Amino acid sequence: MKMAKTILDVQDIYTYFYTESGVVEALDGVSFDVYQGEPVGIVGESGCGKTVTAKSTLRILDKNGKTVAGKIIYKGVDLLELPDLQMRKIRGKEIAMIFQDPMTSLNPIFKIDDQMTEVIALHRNCSRREALEYALEALEQVGIADAAARIKDYPHQFSGGQRQRIFIARALALQPSLLIADEPTTALDVTIQAQILELIKEMQKKHGLAMMLITHNLGVVAETTKRVHIFYGGRVVESGPTEDIFIDPKHPYTRALFDSIPSLEKDKHRLATIPGLVPRLINPPKGCRFHPRCKFATEICMRERPPDVIIDKQKGRRVQCHHFEELDLHVDDSTMKERTSIKEET
Amino acid sequence: MVSTFEEYEVIDLFSGWNPKTDPIINLINLKKWFPISEQSILFSRVVAQIKAVDGVNLFLNKGETLGLVGESGCGKSTTARVTVKLEEPTEGSIYFKGIDIFQPMTREEELAIKRQLQMVFQDPYSSLNPRRMVLDLIKEPFDIHFPDMTYEEKESRVLEILTKVGLEDYHALRYPHEFSGGQRQRIGIARALAIHPEVVLLDEPVSALDVSVQAQILNLLHDLQVEFNLTYMFIAHDLSVIKHVSDRVAVMYLGKIMEMSPTGELFRKTAHPYSVSLLSAIPRPDPRIKMDRIILEGDVPSPINPPSGCPFHPRCYKAQEICSQVTPTLDELEPGHFVACHFPEI
Ligand SMILES: Nc1ncnc2c1ncn2[C@@H]1O[C@H](COP(=O)(O)OP(=O)(O)OP(=O)(O)O)[C@@H](O)[C@H]1O
Ligand SMILES: Nc1ncnc2c1ncn2[C@@H]1O[C@H](COP(=O)(O)OP(=O)(O)O)[C@@H](O)[C@H]1O
Ligand code: SF4
Ligand code: SF4
Ligand SMILES: [Mg+2]
Ligand SMILES: [Mg+2]
Repeated sequence: MKMAKTILDVQDIYTYFYTESGVVEALDGVSFDVYQGEPVGIVGESGCGKTVTAKSTLRILDKNGKTVAGKIIYKGVDLLELPDLQMRKIRGKEIAMIFQDPMTSLNPIFKIDDQMTEVIALHRNCSRREALEYALEALEQVGIADAAARIKDYPHQFSGGQRQRIFIARALALQPSLLIADEPTTALDVTIQAQILELIKEMQKKHGLAMMLITHNLGVVAETTKRVHIFYGGRVVESGPTEDIFIDPKHPYTRALFDSIPSLEKDKHRLATIPGLVPRLINPPKGCRFHPRCKFATEICMRERPPDVIIDKQKGRRVQCHHFEELDLHVDDSTMKERTSIKEET
Repeated sequence: MVSTFEEYEVIDLFSGWNPKTDPIINLINLKKWFPISEQSILFSRVVAQIKAVDGVNLFLNKGETLGLVGESGCGKSTTARVTVKLEEPTEGSIYFKGIDIFQPMTREEELAIKRQLQMVFQDPYSSLNPRRMVLDLIKEPFDIHFPDMTYEEKESRVLEILTKVGLEDYHALRYPHEFSGGQRQRIGIARALAIHPEVVLLDEPVSALDVSVQAQILNLLHDLQVEFNLTYMFIAHDLSVIKHVSDRVAVMYLGKIMEMSPTGELFRKTAHPYSVSLLSAIPRPDPRIKMDRIILEGDVPSPINPPSGCPFHPRCYKAQEICSQVTPTLDELEPGHFVACHFPEI
């Protein structure tokens, strides 16, 4: 196996929000990496720190938030140390982001034209005429019919799926090396989701783009990514190749999360649920943050934070659980089939 | 023991209905159009119609769950709102236990019907009045439907239903913003079920929730259905959720039903090209599966000027000339399997 080159190396970052009711420990020692040209999945329930991780990386946190420790190494440079001016050049040109909500990601008061050509001209250092060419080309690539006419329209004149495609076109026209897509299809229908994912995959291959795909849709992860980082309560609890994570999970949370997907198999049996709620990050649980909901928890889990154990360096296989060596969480073939089959056996 | 409201029941409307042979709800050629009008100082005139629901035929049997699935904007919520008498139909009829619910009737009859038909709304964030305590929110339906009930009885019934949906007594004195999305959805369910309806229309009750919370709510809904012998119409756009909960499924597109059949049959012998495309779009949570999927081009056309003939014809992989000229009717191709297509797959 060829050793892939790391483009983004997030090392032990802590991001806090200072609120009236206390300090929110949103990221509590998050580490993970992304290889050049590779699609990586960032997975976890809402509130576990996925969006905050993306915003910390781009340094676009809300005013009350701050990354207080750690390093974010992008192409060898620590982004947390960069002066503002240089950071501004990284955003868009080097690292582009697609946001969760297609309704709010475009500015409603400007025409698509104005929202695209200006940034393109700035980042690609070209004239506005050339920028317009690039913009039209990108819009056509994402399947906006009649782009030359429609570029004069306002965002509200497009459907949710179209707006998300336009936003992707804008991100891609800047030719970034890393794309961060934060739940790019969560608000969309399956058919539109399929269109967008197909598009992202195609772009990713064609331009050799590295991608962080943030989502809680496990089907999307399975189809789109090569490696996965599982987030829980502001920590990365497990990392590894997508196939290993799905079939041979090492962390109880990973297995529990995957078991709660409604199966496409027919039986009206009860769904497995994870008891309790996602932890609040003001005064989070001590020790392993998953312990109040974990059926394997023991005394040490309540007391000590599990170490970050590297199981297989080559594969980037890591886990944070006191008991992972004793647990067998392997997903057998019939369970896997239940999760995925559409047609029933007759 | 579940207490009923028999002592409060003053009229018997439904004596002609036979639950063994007749559907509990029957929608016949239901249309709901919203006029778009042009205003000027002198006059206001209707310039177009949004054909949100445009000739829906479907039925629900007592005690079953009918899943209603379709892309955003296809008219699912509107169908549900008309079915619970929140809106008047433009054309067509709705029968509840054999009674046309829009025929002229007394206020008592009206209330008796409305009490039996309850709805859980799509958005747990905006469907609850933020200024009212949970106690008052759930008590409100009692005030409307059982004005003679004592305050003590109402209160004890509120507490009873809160327990049933997995909330606690002290939650009664809190306000909606103090709850998580999943808990708010529980409040919405409690509010709909408190007065023991027979039919509950669930409008995307889990779409806004995380997978693990989604599993909890789906289990809860299942338990309540068994306990209260409820009939559900379950609206969703996620087919794996639909497959998990439904006995039968109706697939909707641009204001019309394309296919309706028992759940197993719909997934095993999918007949309508639109249903085939929808199924094909679902990402499967198994990284080893590689699929060739049908990617639908473009977006759902506008309901203002829906395509002539079969509304799906501009995106259909099987369309022939006749499809743009003649609207296919919803025919029973096999017992219980209804399809509206000139060239079905069976
Ligand atoms: N009060 C209204 N006035 C005008 N148009 C409306 C109104 N209510 C709904 N519509 C339109 O009717 C169509 C169907 O809307 P509806 O809310 O029933 O869709 P839906 O299938 O529930 O979609 P979603 O999955 O997004 O909830 C849409 O085009 C919508 O914009
Ligand atoms: N501006 C903020 N102020 C306080 N807390 C915040 C803020 N933004 C995010 N958080 C908290 O940080 C945690 C992680 O949030 P986020 O990264 O948005 O979750 P997700 O994984 O769903 O993207 C949550 O507990 C959230 O409430
Ligand atoms: S460390 Fe303990 S509580 Fe945490 S996941 Fe492992 S077994 Fe469960
Ligand atoms: S009627 Fe024609 S266009 Fe419509 S679904 Fe059937 S084959 Fe396709
Ligand atoms: Mg988020
Ligand atoms: Mg709706």
